[in-house]
Amino acid sequence: MMGGTTRFTGVLSLAAVLALACGGAGGGGAAATTTTGEDLVIGVPMSITGSQSKEGALAKQGYDMWLQWINQQGGINVKSVKHKVQLKYEDDTSKADISAQLTQKLITEEKAQFLLGPYGSATTASDAVVAEKNSIPMVEGNGAAQAIFSQGYKYVFGVLSPANVYLTGVLDMAATLSPKPATVAMLAADDNFSQEVAKAVTEYAPSKGFQIVYSDKYPNGSTNLSGLVANAKARNPDIVLNSGHLQEAIAIHKAAKDLKLDAKLSAYSVGPSTPDYIVALGKDANYVFDGSQWTPQVKYTPAFYLTVQDYVASYKKQFNTQDDPDYHVAESTAACLALQKAIENAGSLKPDKVRDALAALNVTTFFGQIKFDSRGINTFKPMVVEQIQDGKHHTVWPSSVADTKPQYPTPSWSNR
Amino acid sequence: MQLFLQQVVLGLLIGGVYVAVAIGFSLVWGILNIVNLAHGALVIVGAYLTWLLFARARLDPFLALPIVAVALFAFGYALQRALINRVIRAPLFFTLLLTFGVNLVIVNALLVIFKSDFRSVTPGYSGSGFGIAGVQVPYIRLAALGVAVVVAVAVGWLLNRTRTGAAIQAVGADRDAARLVGIDLRHVYALTFAVAAACAGVAGGLISTIQAITPTAGEPYTLQAFVVVVLGGLGRVGATVVGGLVFGMVETLGQTMVPGLGAGWANAIAFAILVLVLVVRPQGLMGRIA
Repeated sequence: MMGGTTRFTGVLSLAAVLALACGGAGGGGAAATTTTGEDLVIGVPMSITGSQSKEGALAKQGYDMWLQWINQQGGINVKSVKHKVQLKYEDDTSKADISAQLTQKLITEEKAQFLLGPYGSATTASDAVVAEKNSIPMVEGNGAAQAIFSQGYKYVFGVLSPANVYLTGVLDMAATLSPKPATVAMLAADDNFSQEVAKAVTEYAPSKGFQIVYSDKYPNGSTNLSGLVANAKARNPDIVLNSGHLQEAIAIHKAAKDLKLDAKLSAYSVGPSTPDYIVALGKDANYVFDGSQWTPQVKYTPAFYLTVQDYVASYKKQFNTQDDPDYHVAESTAACLALQKAIENAGSLKPDKVRDALAALNVTTFFGQIKFDSRGINTFKPMVVEQIQDGKHHTVWPSSVADTKPQYPTPSWSNR
Repeated sequence: MQLFLQQVVLGLLIGGVYVAVAIGFSLVWGILNIVNLAHGALVIVGAYLTWLLFARARLDPFLALPIVAVALFAFGYALQRALINRVIRAPLFFTLLLTFGVNLVIVNALLVIFKSDFRSVTPGYSGSGFGIAGVQVPYIRLAALGVAVVVAVAVGWLLNRTRTGAAIQAVGADRDAARLVGIDLRHVYALTFAVAAACAGVAGGLISTIQAITPTAGEPYTLQAFVVVVLGGLGRVGATVVGGLVFGMVETLGQTMVPGLGAGWANAIAFAILVLVLVVRPQGLMGRIA
């Protein structure tokens, strides 16, 4: 099918050239605005199968949304030549080493001119090495560990907010609440990303007047965290924070109920924003906060592409679903938008020109502001804080983009 | 002191889950001499069946356990009869390879059917419990420990008090002699594996009520079952019960009560104890010297 598209556009562009030539001969060449160039090939290693296939499927939806839209527009406009886009996916089975091999294959065999990132910090980190080695720009929206961006890479750009701000927004919000919470228990998984989130919290909390009364880390993927929750309970914290993943966020919340740990505020870095979290915990999921890259309620004024409302509607239509797009979808689409805008700004398909345009990019999209710092990560977009209220996600912070107020303090387990 | 007691209680309760998981694993290893790497996958099949019955038929997870046990019994019997019997006399390496393959097939079949969404069985009484002197005891975990003990007693009774159990033990002791006295080896192999699969299914049902499950969630349980069996000693149900409870206790206390260490050391502590047992008491805490 892809081959067919290529041939078809080939014929089209030939026809366009002929038409132009005839027009020129006729002497009437008035408004020959855009022509169609060769298809642009973008390589995407992705977790189609394996342990992260759920998140990988969401990221792929985000890419496919942009793909459909850009090709409906006739393609990416490079100095009045429109290039239709092909996304070449390779299934990395959620494994970092395989992802890196496939990235190289995409570049050498599939002739990918640019790359979009895979799902997850570990795979992104290993693919970044390959992108850099081949001087192929890679724009990613699903790897937030700062370790990816501390290697001095020049060709790797991340549109999402880095790990260190995942939970600091929650602390900013907590400082405005009444009665103001004072003590924090911090649990964290031992992987790179989660440790960055936790380290930022322990450094930031004192500056907002919070005292860390308990902090510990556990092996990534733990399902039995009751012991740690019992330890946290013994310190009687006002705020319970977890920096980990969906599985651990569920385990900690279940243990908190088992052991009657009554915190005024519970916030988990990853997990509560997914529909699975609410399904798994039912009404116990209420009152839980999380830091999110994006929510369907945010209010940004985009310079191009869709508005937030149109994006949500378009998602539901394209994938025939009642679910809202979650942030994995949105950040993936945002990665495509950054790449598109940079190519248009560069007016060139040369990797080094596009790389320079990415480094200089500053644009607001439905996802928020996209602008990269000197390391290549987007430190300009704020994280938003979500809360589950009556089984639904609501955006509660910052108040400029929120759709409702935070419900605080959380009632004790015996009163809910 | 209160915190210490709380941690001991939590250790015993999670130990109950480890007992439930390890009983079937121990049976297959002890009798068939197969280290079943697909055991964790069978556990998760049981967990998904429990979830299906809960989500679709609103059946209480504890009432679903007998149904899950029967289903896994049938599945285990067929699996052994059709597949694993073929390598039963082959070197250990082949059985490892085959059960590893079975594990991959089951996990990926679950991924295709259920996707990698997180599922959890959350009945109305989830999270409720009672407290004694500030020590919280959640009902679900207590019931899980109770079920594990019942399963252990039932398997012990089956092995030691019935003709079928005598046949299973005879096969475990000496295959050729068992055949000489007229025991149908292929049937007894399949029966043993079926009982183990049923136990795995029950363990999975318990797990679905206390953690979120995904198709890949079973793999750590295979490893834990291995450690529990080595710790307790191979071949006796009582030894597995002791091994599971000790492992649960060591893991929880190691995670939380050792000053200077954190939960990150839990695995290191558990495996250090495993190595220690292998060096000092290679037959396990409760094992007999062969």
